[in-house]
Amino acid sequence: MRRQLEGSRAVAEAVRLCRPRVIAAYPITPQTHIVEHLSQMVADGELAAECINTESEFAAASVALGAVAAGARAYTASAAQGLLLMTEVLFNIAGLRLPVVMTCANRAVGAPINIFNDHQDSLSLRDAGWIQLYVESNQEAVDSMIQAYRIAEACELPVMVCMDGFFLTHTFEPVELPEQAQVDAWLPPLRFSRALDPVAPATLGGGSEPDNYLEYRRAQHQALDHAADEIVSTAAAFQSTFGRTHGALIDGYRLDDAERVLITLGSVMGAVRDTVDALRERGERVGALKLRCVRPFPAAGLVHALRGARRVAVLEKAISAGAGGIIAAELRAAMHAAGIALPVDGFVGGLGGRDLTPASIEAVFAASAAAGPAPIGCQFVDVDAADEAARPGE
Amino acid sequence: MSRLRFDPGSSTAYRTGDWRRARPIYADRWPPCGAGCPAGEDIQAYLALLQAGREEAAWRKLTEQNPFPAVCGRICPHPCESACNRARVDEAVAIHQVERHLGDLARGRGFAHDRPRAAAAERHVGVVGAGPAGLSCAYQLARVGYRVTIYDAASEPGGTLRWGVPDYRLPKDALLHEVEAILALGVTLRLGVRIGADLSAGELRTRHDAVFTAIGNGLPLVPAEADVTGHGVDSGIAFLRRVNAGERPSLPARVAVIGAGNTAIDVARCARRLGAAEVTIVSPQDRPGHRPGQPAEEMTALPTEIAQAEAEGVRLLLRLGVQRLVRSGEHLDGLQLAYVDHVFDDAGRFRPVLYEGTETFLPADRVIVATGQQPDWSGLDVLQPDPAAGIFAGGDCVGGARTAVAAIGSGHQAAEDVMAYLEGRAPVELGRAATASFDTLHTHYYRRVPRHTSVEADTDERQRDFREVQSGLESVAVAAEAARCLSCGVCMECDNCWHFCPDAAVIKLGPGQRYRFDYEYCKGCGICAAECPTGHIRMEAESGT
Amino acid sequence: MDRRDPFRLNALTSGHRACSGCGQAMAARMVGDLIGPDAIFVNATGCLQVFTTHNAQSAWQVPWLHSVFANAAAVASGVEAARRGLPGSERVVVQAGDGGTFDIGLQCLSGMIERGHDALFVCYDNEAYMNTGVQRSGSTPHAARTTTSPPGRLSEGKRHLKKDMLAIVAAHHMPYAATASVAFFPDLKAKVEKAMRLRGPRFLHVFSPCPLGWDHDAAASVQVARLAVETGLFPLVELEYGAVTGVMRLAQRRPVEDYLRLQGRFKHLFKDAHGAAELRHLQALADANIRRYGLLDATTAWDTGEAGRAQRGGRGGYAPAHGAAS
Repeated sequence: MRRQLEGSRAVAEAVRLCRPRVIAAYPITPQTHIVEHLSQMVADGELAAECINTESEFAAASVALGAVAAGARAYTASAAQGLLLMTEVLFNIAGLRLPVVMTCANRAVGAPINIFNDHQDSLSLRDAGWIQLYVESNQEAVDSMIQAYRIAEACELPVMVCMDGFFLTHTFEPVELPEQAQVDAWLPPLRFSRALDPVAPATLGGGSEPDNYLEYRRAQHQALDHAADEIVSTAAAFQSTFGRTHGALIDGYRLDDAERVLITLGSVMGAVRDTVDALRERGERVGALKLRCVRPFPAAGLVHALRGARRVAVLEKAISAGAGGIIAAELRAAMHAAGIALPVDGFVGGLGGRDLTPASIEAVFAASAAAGPAPIGCQFVDVDAADEAARPGE
Repeated sequence: MSRLRFDPGSSTAYRTGDWRRARPIYADRWPPCGAGCPAGEDIQAYLALLQAGREEAAWRKLTEQNPFPAVCGRICPHPCESACNRARVDEAVAIHQVERHLGDLARGRGFAHDRPRAAAAERHVGVVGAGPAGLSCAYQLARVGYRVTIYDAASEPGGTLRWGVPDYRLPKDALLHEVEAILALGVTLRLGVRIGADLSAGELRTRHDAVFTAIGNGLPLVPAEADVTGHGVDSGIAFLRRVNAGERPSLPARVAVIGAGNTAIDVARCARRLGAAEVTIVSPQDRPGHRPGQPAEEMTALPTEIAQAEAEGVRLLLRLGVQRLVRSGEHLDGLQLAYVDHVFDDAGRFRPVLYEGTETFLPADRVIVATGQQPDWSGLDVLQPDPAAGIFAGGDCVGGARTAVAAIGSGHQAAEDVMAYLEGRAPVELGRAATASFDTLHTHYYRRVPRHTSVEADTDERQRDFREVQSGLESVAVAAEAARCLSCGVCMECDNCWHFCPDAAVIKLGPGQRYRFDYEYCKGCGICAAECPTGHIRMEAESGT
Repeated sequence: MDRRDPFRLNALTSGHRACSGCGQAMAARMVGDLIGPDAIFVNATGCLQVFTTHNAQSAWQVPWLHSVFANAAAVASGVEAARRGLPGSERVVVQAGDGGTFDIGLQCLSGMIERGHDALFVCYDNEAYMNTGVQRSGSTPHAARTTTSPPGRLSEGKRHLKKDMLAIVAAHHMPYAATASVAFFPDLKAKVEKAMRLRGPRFLHVFSPCPLGWDHDAAASVQVARLAVETGLFPLVELEYGAVTGVMRLAQRRPVEDYLRLQGRFKHLFKDAHGAAELRHLQALADANIRRYGLLDATTAWDTGEAGRAQRGGRGGYAPAHGAAS
């Protein structure tokens, strides 16, 4: 059924279709609408779940952890400061290999405090051991949410679906919602083999020592590596059942003969696609690539997809302060490891909700048309000229 | 495991026992009550059984050492209670009441001693004297299957218990029942046979593989110094023997009793019951407890007996020695008394020293002398003890405490000695020193509970006849007294060690089975020992530490 | 599974690595076995977690989950929410030390109570951060020595007071909040059983001596716990919806010195006049507890003499170990 829905509402509907038994959250802009819609569904008897309004995001993540450990499908959502307040628990959920699914309504991290979109929050947690999927549209958010549970439960790994705050969460778009029966058939109830059970009283989350901690972490890393296959097969299965795909690990756009490729994440990909079309109209051999999955990092997929490119630009809405763009650095490493000398220009922009306009994107393409090696670090997109003049290189 | 899932209880693969520097050990200690009991009763054990409601088992445990609970529960001076650790918490457990209750219960319910499964031997032991020592010896021998014949000159068994203790303290039927229970084990009793007269001692010896002589102290012992003989003078034991034979001799108004022991008290109290208006006990010794550090200077009579006598109107003249009888011709006027400086000389002999000038006169129509007794060995020379020849003696006739319970213990030891002799082995010494001292207990685990006391018959009413003065306790009170036992040194399965062990190294084995330490895991913290109320757990250093 | 003992589950069994004489191991073993096998245990980080799970081995024989230090009550909320409406009778129990209760775990605990989760929160209070080396916590009593409240030329140990955790918890419209001590098993048993009969959030604060951190003999753990109660420093009380409904009267009131002298953490108080002043202060704190709860004159048959009495055959055991198949 196709409906015109606010992104938060669409995600809430998707979550409802997945039948979580426990929903735990603490309000933070721009995540609030999602949880408000879910609360209303529970209040109206449309969703048989326990809504646990916690006293912090730290507790919300913990409730989700406990719920899944007890065998229930669980959901939580947060953003920015809230996500960081969850940090300890998010690492813990991943270490315990619990299939928690959450939405990150991506928002900038203070200071200065800023409620608007960028990817600093979730990208800062790239090492937490979660699968991270970044969505381009509300439809993708809906579909990814349903996929996320299937991936999480198959891999016993937590999945974070990252959707841009406001740009998606507060934007009305037509969305196709699957039927409940379809989702039920595609996503069976959670059967968590390690669920806490008095009949088989196991210990979960015990201590480790120097002589076995490394092996635990290696196993976790390998599980994330292997999850790539599951993400791909799940996307394919989803497509065959529901007739839609948004790519799996990556989603290329007009890459076939592209010499210059722009890689980005999230909702800005829509504008990037338009820009590619416009530049193609002008005869530029450009393409784009959406990085849908940041963890596991699809290094091999990227290397393969970029085999024809001469130069690549990465446009990302987060920065590892003091180093530069995060994805750019990872891509450079992947290419280097594959023995490919591909210049990668790193662009950081759109922070704190600043619009990345078609002009900005074109400027990025233009900047990446340069010859010679790409500069180390990052270049900032659309930096205020006055500021640049006042404090050059500060 | 790669997903941080550990198996339940898998830590048991890790043995923490090697952390231990000292190990706890469960070991019974011997409580002071049992050590204080001359018969060696396992008092703690039968109180425990009684607490569990196992009355018959309690009686059987008691009678392993003493076949006379109904008797001793009434007349024993209960040194067990004097030794009882509970006295230092509040008051001693009323052990004698429990003992009496079990004895009476056995009679009421018809408990019988277990007969031996098989005759231990066809050996035949002769016992001379059917008093508590002789009967105790015969009992112990018979329960393991020896043939025993007891000889006694009297017409009924019981010895001093039968002929020396008045009914108001020990009803005859209570005694008789316990004697009969012993005889029911197959013991032969030959009454009216005086060894040395009706049957020669030599003949006796040839009839038996071993002989135990327990003839008691049948003869009065009168201090040579004081001439207290003649008209108007009677011997205490002779007097009591007549009364206990059922005679009710009439007495003059004023009776003086010379003596400081229970016999003197018994004589005085009988005299009151026979109508004497003024009964006075004259003793050179002081009241029990009034001469700290000088036990010889105190009366040997029990304080309760003294108190009951006084309640019945018996007057005590203490620290006074008899100088002479005062007579008008043959007629007895009374006694000339004088105050005593000390009673025993440095060698411990009875040598009262009287103060000149303190003389006083006590009018008396009858004087009854109860100053002591001695054995009558006449005609019994060949029965002088010779363990190597299988001739043993015990009870009052060989000295000692001169209490029934001491005689019972002596008879038990004699039985052991006889058996060892007949089996050709070294005898076992039955007495055991107490090891469960007060300081091994953790007394904060016990609440203060007052001791239960029984009722005495009305002092006026009881002087009209020889009815029993002291009643027993109701069974509820008996159970409560049993529950007051601290169980010194002996596990009472209170679960403290089991609850408190931080390491699951105390395994409970089930009711009556106590616990065991699992030394694979015990870290030796010592909490179990520190918190064991009874002192049953001790810590022992591990070797090599 | 370890089934050596037919009379208790040994929810926390042998092979754990608690120090010799550990009061927390003792307390957790009592509480675990009183609750029995039909429960899910969520544990905060702390000694109890560290010494019971090690090297891929666990001393637990009940379903047990540890996440992080501060979030045990929230994790338990999730477990409880997940079990709601499902078949099965298992209950949820949270275990934490004083740090995980008074300090870092307080917010999650408050949230759990406020939301009315059906879970029993058990705080094993050993009055400092023992696992990390005896640092001061909000539960450390006044004037006690810890590594971060050391006595010195300008210090007599911890300057501040022990937080009144029970009152904080009880202020949440709390169905049941009680204190208990390892030294009084019958009382602890009654409280655990009462707590398990009730629904909703419940709080049990169990005093758990630490021979290492308090610097007393390993064998003295129970004695120390008993004296804490008998001096009035750790009153044994029950509160239902904020009202005091149970008080264990002191059969015998002991001066605080009897308690303090057993422990090295108070040794500095016996050295000079400054220490003596703190001793008087500690006595005043005990006296205030005695007045506040009526520990000497409460009209209750339950007193330290009765609750501390030993009895032939014991005074009750543990929940039956059913549901534990293997």
